[in-house]
Amino acid sequence: MSLDRKMQWIAQGFLFVRGHTVVHRLDPRVRLITSLSLFSVALLSHSVEELSIIIAIVLTIAGIAKIIKRFAKSMLFTAVIALIAFALNLFFYPTSPHQAVVFGVRLFAVISSTSLFFLTSTPDELEHVMKWMRLPADFVMVFVIAVRFVPVLLLDALQIMDAQRSRGLEFDKGNIFQRMKNVIPVMVPLIAVALNRSLDLAEAMDSRAYGAAKKPTSLYHLALRRSDYAMLGIVLLGVVIGVYVSLYLILF
Amino acid sequence: METVSIEESYDQIVSFENVDYSHPNGTIALRNISFQLKPGELLAILGSNGAGKTTLVRHINGLLKATHGTVKVFGKDAKLSTAAKLSRKVGIVFQNPNNQLFEQSVKKEIQFALRNFGFMEALIEERTNWALKTFSLAEYADRPPMELSGGEKKRLCVALVLAWDPEILILDEPTVGQDSEQKENLVQIVKLLLSQKKTVILVTHDIEFVWPLQPRVILMSNGEIVADGECQETLSNESLMSKGSVLPPQLVEFSRLMGWSLPFPASTFEAKSLIEKATTRTRM
Repeated sequence: MSLDRKMQWIAQGFLFVRGHTVVHRLDPRVRLITSLSLFSVALLSHSVEELSIIIAIVLTIAGIAKIIKRFAKSMLFTAVIALIAFALNLFFYPTSPHQAVVFGVRLFAVISSTSLFFLTSTPDELEHVMKWMRLPADFVMVFVIAVRFVPVLLLDALQIMDAQRSRGLEFDKGNIFQRMKNVIPVMVPLIAVALNRSLDLAEAMDSRAYGAAKKPTSLYHLALRRSDYAMLGIVLLGVVIGVYVSLYLILF
Repeated sequence: METVSIEESYDQIVSFENVDYSHPNGTIALRNISFQLKPGELLAILGSNGAGKTTLVRHINGLLKATHGTVKVFGKDAKLSTAAKLSRKVGIVFQNPNNQLFEQSVKKEIQFALRNFGFMEALIEERTNWALKTFSLAEYADRPPMELSGGEKKRLCVALVLAWDPEILILDEPTVGQDSEQKENLVQIVKLLLSQKKTVILVTHDIEFVWPLQPRVILMSNGEIVADGECQETLSNESLMSKGSVLPPQLVEFSRLMGWSLPFPASTFEAKSLIEKATTRTRM
């Protein structure tokens, strides 16, 4: 597989695709609370069985949201990180093999539960949630723009790679140092294009009165529906059981 | 891996046979594309945004590989070669100059591809000087390419491709951001290349740029070829033009108003002489 194909394949795992499932229809705050709950229970957990149940729940939600393929792609890297964490714990830390396994699986469960929120939420929903969390407006704007521009930058990178391959550059050729050097003809135009775009965007935002009002109004408001309350109930029940099991296993 | 050789002679320098292409996300970009291109031919590919023009030409230098069908370049299957190898003989000037310029000076930018293709030092120097002179870039030779204006960057992009002397030159939207003088320069460059028996492919919306060159025209819409023929017949056919969402050239509209029949004048100069002839006849 060529480098740009690899990049496309990897990127698909991280890009949001607008879905129309039960999970996508939930209020983004409920999705965030679900992810954070799974995250917290995973942090508390000290048994492989309990962590496996958490991963199974994450996978089930991903399945219902029909994002299992993209989820699997993004989790490939998480699995590698978890394996490295397991190996480091096993060989460089005075711990038992069981504890090393728990550490690796916990890391996987924590990252996968967080990814669940990002893979099912649009940049708009992220913005609403961050505003609801009363984060500074400028910070929210910068974060949302950064997220929104990831696919655009990826497209730019692929076009630049095409242009340089058309000038005889072979990315997959040579030793590791040569391959690192081959990235320069992509990185320099990419940074230049990104900087130019950011300046254009700043001017366009200024000309549309960004920052003129101290408290800008919002067109959309988040409102919880029955299905959201039902999901919150399920999550709360899950957290209680999870925490109880975790504490029980630690104490007894 | 096969390498491209041009020592052999070909009736068809480029050949598309029932080519389909789908993007990785599943979107169908090209459907059943078939056409052949002879050496030394000038081809203009026209069509609205998203018609598949750029996707089509990217198959010629191996940047994209057909999902179905065969693309042959210099008689060999393009799938069997890499873009870097095919590009030695197929040069593409991309639409956006900012997507390729990265070196510290204009001179080094031109030399980048020549080094990738393994040119000898003496030849690199010779070709660089030729490109700088031909495209009036000599005074900017030591300046960073990023500091050039939009038009100068575009000129540099044409220069850096022509520096390695490809057999086929593809110009993707060459007139975007160019003033009328630069467009005229481009017309002259295309004519120069044709006189050197090079094959030139123009991908453009700019029908006024294409008309004076009178190329063979391929009209595309929704990933399909809706017309492939001579410039005069294709660009004066209203139903074909509307299928391709392209407006006819002003000289075609004018010729229709004047009640002239094909072939229509290719330039205002030809139109003027036709009017003068008609006026002389009326006086007599």
